[in-house]
Amino acid sequence: MISRLRGLWNNVFRRNQLDRDLDEELRAYAELVSAEKMRAGLSPEEAYRDTRREMGGDEQIRQSVRDIRAGALLDRLAQDIRYGIRTLSRSPGFCLVAVATLALGIGANTAMFSLLDQIVLRLLPVKEPERLAMITERGNFYGDSYGPNTISWPMFEDLRDNNRVFSGMFCRFSTPVTLGDGDRAAQVTAELVSASYFSVLGVDMALGRPITPQDDSVPDSQPVVVLSYGFWQTYFNSDRTIVGRTIALNSHNMTVIGVAEPGFDGVEFGNPAKLFVPIMMKTEMTPRSDGLKDRRRRLQWVTAYGRLKPKVTMEQAQLSLQTLLHSILEMEAREPSFRGFTAADREQFLRNRIQLLPGSDNGLREYMRRPLWLLVALTGAVLLLACANLAGLLLARATAREQEFAVRLAIGASRVRIVRQLLVECLHLSGAGALLGLALAFIADRVLEKMYLSPDATAQFAVSPIPDVRVLLFTLCAMFLTSFTFGLLPAIRGSRTEIAPTISERSVSGAVGSLALRRTLVGTQVALSLLLLVGAGLSVRTLRNLENRGPGFPTEHLLTFSINPSLNGYSNEQTEDFFERLAENLQTMPGVSSVGMSGMPILKGYAWQDAVQGKDFQGQPKQDQPVLNMIGPDYFAALGIPLLAGRAFTVRDVGPAKYAVVNQAFAREYLPAGNPLGKRFRLVNFDDPSQLQRDVEVIGLIPDMKYRDLRETPPAQAYFPYYQDTKFRFMNFYLRTQVDPACLWTRFANACANSTRMFRWLDYRRSKSRLAIRCGPSGW
Amino acid sequence: MPAPQSDLLQGTLDVLILKSLALQELHGMGISRRISQMTNGAFDVKAGSLFPALHRMEQAGWLKSAWGESETNRRAKFYSLTKAGRKQLQTETERWERISLAMSAALGAN
Repeated sequence: MISRLRGLWNNVFRRNQLDRDLDEELRAYAELVSAEKMRAGLSPEEAYRDTRREMGGDEQIRQSVRDIRAGALLDRLAQDIRYGIRTLSRSPGFCLVAVATLALGIGANTAMFSLLDQIVLRLLPVKEPERLAMITERGNFYGDSYGPNTISWPMFEDLRDNNRVFSGMFCRFSTPVTLGDGDRAAQVTAELVSASYFSVLGVDMALGRPITPQDDSVPDSQPVVVLSYGFWQTYFNSDRTIVGRTIALNSHNMTVIGVAEPGFDGVEFGNPAKLFVPIMMKTEMTPRSDGLKDRRRRLQWVTAYGRLKPKVTMEQAQLSLQTLLHSILEMEAREPSFRGFTAADREQFLRNRIQLLPGSDNGLREYMRRPLWLLVALTGAVLLLACANLAGLLLARATAREQEFAVRLAIGASRVRIVRQLLVECLHLSGAGALLGLALAFIADRVLEKMYLSPDATAQFAVSPIPDVRVLLFTLCAMFLTSFTFGLLPAIRGSRTEIAPTISERSVSGAVGSLALRRTLVGTQVALSLLLLVGAGLSVRTLRNLENRGPGFPTEHLLTFSINPSLNGYSNEQTEDFFERLAENLQTMPGVSSVGMSGMPILKGYAWQDAVQGKDFQGQPKQDQPVLNMIGPDYFAALGIPLLAGRAFTVRDVGPAKYAVVNQAFAREYLPAGNPLGKRFRLVNFDDPSQLQRDVEVIGLIPDMKYRDLRETPPAQAYFPYYQDTKFRFMNFYLRTQVDPACLWTRFANACANSTRMFRWLDYRRSKSRLAIRCGPSGW
Repeated sequence: MPAPQSDLLQGTLDVLILKSLALQELHGMGISRRISQMTNGAFDVKAGSLFPALHRMEQAGWLKSAWGESETNRRAKFYSLTKAGRKQLQTETERWERISLAMSAALGAN
């Protein structure tokens, strides 16, 4: 072993000395043989000639000895690399084409892989993300849901305190808050988190301390905030003295207590959190919404997570929690708010169940998985095609270089050596291609993100200029694979060169043959490329169609944004006034055909569900409760939903709900006999028991459309005119425009500014990202 | 171009070189001549096979080399067996005995 190591050392660093020794040794051998022959009676000249003949080529012996030395492989590789560079630099045109082709192929693949990696393959950057479960309640909730997969705060507390399957539980709620005030005000996403958030996730602090149970005991008592690392870097310039300083959130002074570890942006994928605030500060962060303090059980707003105890599986946890949920539901059903319920409705309610979802999963993953895999497959095919093309080029080149190979074979190169040499040349090409491809991938990822993700989500992507290890590894593999794919065949062909005919013929015929071959290859390539293009085009079209078919109404020329004046300290009256003036201003804007408003945003997982009663369907509770919404007069016109029968609301209908517009699914399920117009039903309202018995008259019928997300089958829906004292903190605006909404932006901003001085506090860029309704991931 | 080792199995050459050096140290040509003599001229080892083999075996730690004076007072490189080389010769000898026994048994029995 030691002698081997010494040998390696000598071979690498004392190569010249070794070569001199070998020469000396061979000379000695030759002289000794000659001397022997002379002793046998030959003349010196004859002896010398005989010796030479017997010994064979000096150079060949030397080469075979060198080949044996340890580290010879390295030596020869270096030689091959030098030679490869020399050879390639003689045909720059070929190199350019080859490297460009490969760069495109490898670049596209790397770009796709890094997207796939980040969206589909990677889990949350927390400790053991696969042990994290999201706890959701399925069934008929009979209340308001602020967001998909939410549960009520009291429900969270009950589950947290009584479960036996989680080592820890936390909940969170994401909300925009106003940071700073005056001209420096900005709207940023904050995550309101329960005490055990950081400890259950296993996320450490880069600076300061995390939010702890002491921060989470008494409402309004702990004005503290933890910053996300990225936000600390960009907004506070990585200021290390930030801990202990005070910042204004919604005009409340909050003390910065820590900065979370790098890479952690909260648990909601596509909606990165910049700030983490104890959930006890809910009232300060979301003015006029008090789901925490009043402990409403009929308001779902927190997403709850638990970390499974060791050896507990998801299925076991779900079963165990189901029992717990049932007892909680029984308690809830005895509450006063359920008084107006029929026995059947109550029974249906008790059938609600717990569903555990992988906690590190995200909505994007579900939505993007198939198109991304498809695109990865397509780009993979493109790379293969690039390889085929290069193989063609190299084959042609190998044919042209037959003479060179013949000469090299003649002076003693082995065939293996020539194959290796050609493969090294290929590695040069693919190496350069890979480097260039990485750069291209970086650019391509930016473009793809823009195409597929909302800017908010883009911000969360860590596609840094320095790609991570997995992506680099992928590129490296792609590089080796490609060079072997396109290099091996031509190399083997090149090494099969027959020496004699090639050297003597100075083959012209070879060129002709290669031309034919090249033509075939180019033909194949063009055909395959076309096929791929058509395939890609078709699949993109299919995706598009799916998206367009999506919600059940046209989404082009539709602009949507949400506005929450309470964040700026607006009172109820001011809010009302603001909404009215804004709607008027927008209506008069040139290019806008109609302005719709709704209390619940559609296609964002939000829902409002109350129990619906009527004499026609008494005692027949439905599997799925209808979803409800409060809307402004022009809502249907703005969304482009036609009235099938009856009429939409007018300004005169604005007031407490007396009229309703329902969709076909609602009419089918709840008003089955005859014309639904004029039929009445009752809404069991939890907030205001005085409205309990109030009948609502159906005045219009609309076709089915989606409400919560694009995946659902259109649920039964009922719409009511939004009453002035809206219970919603924010209003969602839907503008149908005559031109591309992007063109309207400046005018839109001015119209908003005219409505109120408050609008300058809103982050325009953020609103701008909501240009045109996104039926893609951002909407979910 | 004839393959230089086609008539000599690599294992054969190694064991012959080891054997030739069992009694004394020799230079390259000495080894070649000694092998020829030991095998009654059946094996004539050419430089093209000899030197790669010597260097390979030295690398393997079976041989060591040193510069010395030849019988004609020419500076030459002399090879000798190392401890590992002697052990290798021992194992190889046993192996060859087994093979040759087996081969003659196989070929003797029709």
